[in-house]
Amino acid sequence: MDLTRIVFCFALALGAALPASAHKASDAYLQLRGDARGTELRIDVALRDLDAALDLDADLDGRLTWGEVRAASPAIEAWVRAGVQLEGCPLEPAGQALERRNDGSYAVLTLRSACAMPELPRLRYALMRDLDATHRGLLKIEAPGRAPVLQVLDPATADRASIAPAEPPGASASLVLEGVRHIVGGFDHLLFLLCLMLPAVMRRAPGGGWRPVDRPGQALGPVARIVTAFTLAHSITLGLAATGRVALSPALIEPAIAATIVLAAIDNLRPIFAGRRGLVTFVFGLVHGFGFAGVLGELDLGTVQFAWALLQFNVGLELGQLAVVAAAVGVLYLLRGSPRYPAWAIGGGSALCGVVGALWFVERVSGWPLLPV
Amino acid sequence: MKRLMLAACMALPLFAAAEPLVPTDDAQVLEILPAAGAARADERRLRRTLARQPLDAQAAVTLARGQLALAHDAGDPRPAGQALAVLQRFGPADTAPPAVVLLRATVLQYLHEFDDAIAQLGRLVQREPRNAQAWLVLATLHRVQGRYTASDAACEGVAAAGASLHAQACRAENDALRGQVDGAVARLQRLAATPRLDGATRNWLLTTVAEAQWRAGRPQAAEVAFAAALRAAPEAYTTLAYADWLIEQDRDAQALALLDALPRNDAVLLRRAIAGARVRAASAEADARELRERIAAANQRPQAQRFHAREQAMAALLLDGDPGRALALARLNLERQREPLDLLVMARAARAARDRDAQREVDALRASIGLHDPRLPALL
Repeated sequence: MDLTRIVFCFALALGAALPASAHKASDAYLQLRGDARGTELRIDVALRDLDAALDLDADLDGRLTWGEVRAASPAIEAWVRAGVQLEGCPLEPAGQALERRNDGSYAVLTLRSACAMPELPRLRYALMRDLDATHRGLLKIEAPGRAPVLQVLDPATADRASIAPAEPPGASASLVLEGVRHIVGGFDHLLFLLCLMLPAVMRRAPGGGWRPVDRPGQALGPVARIVTAFTLAHSITLGLAATGRVALSPALIEPAIAATIVLAAIDNLRPIFAGRRGLVTFVFGLVHGFGFAGVLGELDLGTVQFAWALLQFNVGLELGQLAVVAAAVGVLYLLRGSPRYPAWAIGGGSALCGVVGALWFVERVSGWPLLPV
Repeated sequence: MKRLMLAACMALPLFAAAEPLVPTDDAQVLEILPAAGAARADERRLRRTLARQPLDAQAAVTLARGQLALAHDAGDPRPAGQALAVLQRFGPADTAPPAVVLLRATVLQYLHEFDDAIAQLGRLVQREPRNAQAWLVLATLHRVQGRYTASDAACEGVAAAGASLHAQACRAENDALRGQVDGAVARLQRLAATPRLDGATRNWLLTTVAEAQWRAGRPQAAEVAFAAALRAAPEAYTTLAYADWLIEQDRDAQALALLDALPRNDAVLLRRAIAGARVRAASAEADARELRERIAAANQRPQAQRFHAREQAMAALLLDGDPGRALALARLNLERQREPLDLLVMARAARAARDRDAQREVDALRASIGLHDPRLPALL
């Protein structure tokens, strides 16, 4: 297979292929996928790397032409096959193509085999060994029924074939803790939840006003409904935002979070959502989920085990949230019998929530610091 | 067979943005390589020499030095990685030829592998206590990481090796960072007036003066020194620092004009996007977009972020308006490098994020390294 048999699979042909300026260390991109019926490995290698290995620039003019690359095509194929091997599964060439990335042009090689995708693929990777000490292969493994795994292949350790982890790696405590820390330190999320909890130990009396619940079980229902709605909703948007499917600017989300607090407070004082509190909590939870995603983006996760990281972070959030809710509802339950509860806790507490939420809103829209946190 | 190839094409581009490239004729240029002509012929000749004799130290150092210069000029780390590969064949710093170890440390410094670079130089100065260049790079590395006392000790190594001018400048730079600006500036200016001094050294001395004057809140004196440094030698480091100063003085159009002379590496692109946005230059949006794409591509390699955290923090703060992310990145960056700019970036991010704890953190770090930079308290 050589590049003359390149496939014109996309109608769109790029115009003059202007060189992008290179600016990052050398990476090759590998994608291993397959199932019981066969295995495919796709390898993208930068033309600049191929030139360093194989002297593609035949006339030494510093310009790699299509003619030069085409002539070197068999050498490229042989070099890649010698440098990348899947243990126990000999791969045969199945196609070459070219692509452009923002740091230059790449040759794309596809290798295939009829052997079943190994349960634990072991890849020997030695491309650019002794040629570029900073070169790495970024390998993505995709198999049906398993989350994609990303591995970094260092050619200096090519003698030790890499093994894809069968189980998600341990050391999960730190991300769970990060989740706990974020909810416990995220005053806006907490205030929103607390505001929703204030009336949970009371029931609206038929003739207006409030009366305390008799048994803990009666408070548990509304609390569970609120917490479940909030959790479901923020898990959805956290997942969408963290995987990059939906992106909303913090400039939009942060004031929106503040607004949810104000609306929740108003609803305590004068019901505006009537019986749809669960649904409203769900909708507001969607907004808060985007706020959580910002934190996950700050952690230097790369794409490795992203889904797993997301899950751990979310578990941390839920644990922190449950702890705070349990403590708050416990205290409110004990106080509910006081005749002053409706006025002080629901009235005063909600008013306070509303004022703080409103100040946050102004602060986040205008950029003027008004509150210490 | 055809079906198979079609399937290969249907595979979506891996990882980040990649577009299919379909050449139409043999003469079409697919890639421009960083060096051409004689330099390229030399490079290939040296590679062939090394393929026959991998431990030819002279060929290795010549090739690696050329590659490092290429990396510097184009802001492109790839040739630096290739230089490192050539130098690594010589084994540990205790036994490799001194010229190889020194160059290896310099390449590691370029790649921001500061700890490895310090380890290499530590072995080298034990073997060759009179290697002034090794001591000088060591002093720089300690300074960049905020260890001024260790840097002073390395400056003494420079002095003991007989490089008096460089030793004096080395000490003066540390003194200026500790706040003894006037004495340090006077000494550096006296050294810069040395007759028959080469342009690069004079540039280094005057750039140090400019940075000290800037920190001390004397913008006119800083500008005079920047201009004099660039007249001595148009070094990219000085141009970039001068551009930062111009942006701080709200002279963004001038900064943009100055940056036109530099290759579009990430640091340059960042400043172009920042200054461009402030004067609503037509190029600003494209520059910002290109920078974001590059950051996304580089970050696909896990851990890569920590090598570019300074630029990424500045981009998050000044281009994306995301102080939270900027703060996390600025903090990550300070694990690796602690130059005044690195503390400034975190202080600005902490202020924008209204994170008082982070502001206290920067101040504690400033105090622990002994940095005197009057620009910081204003932000903390």
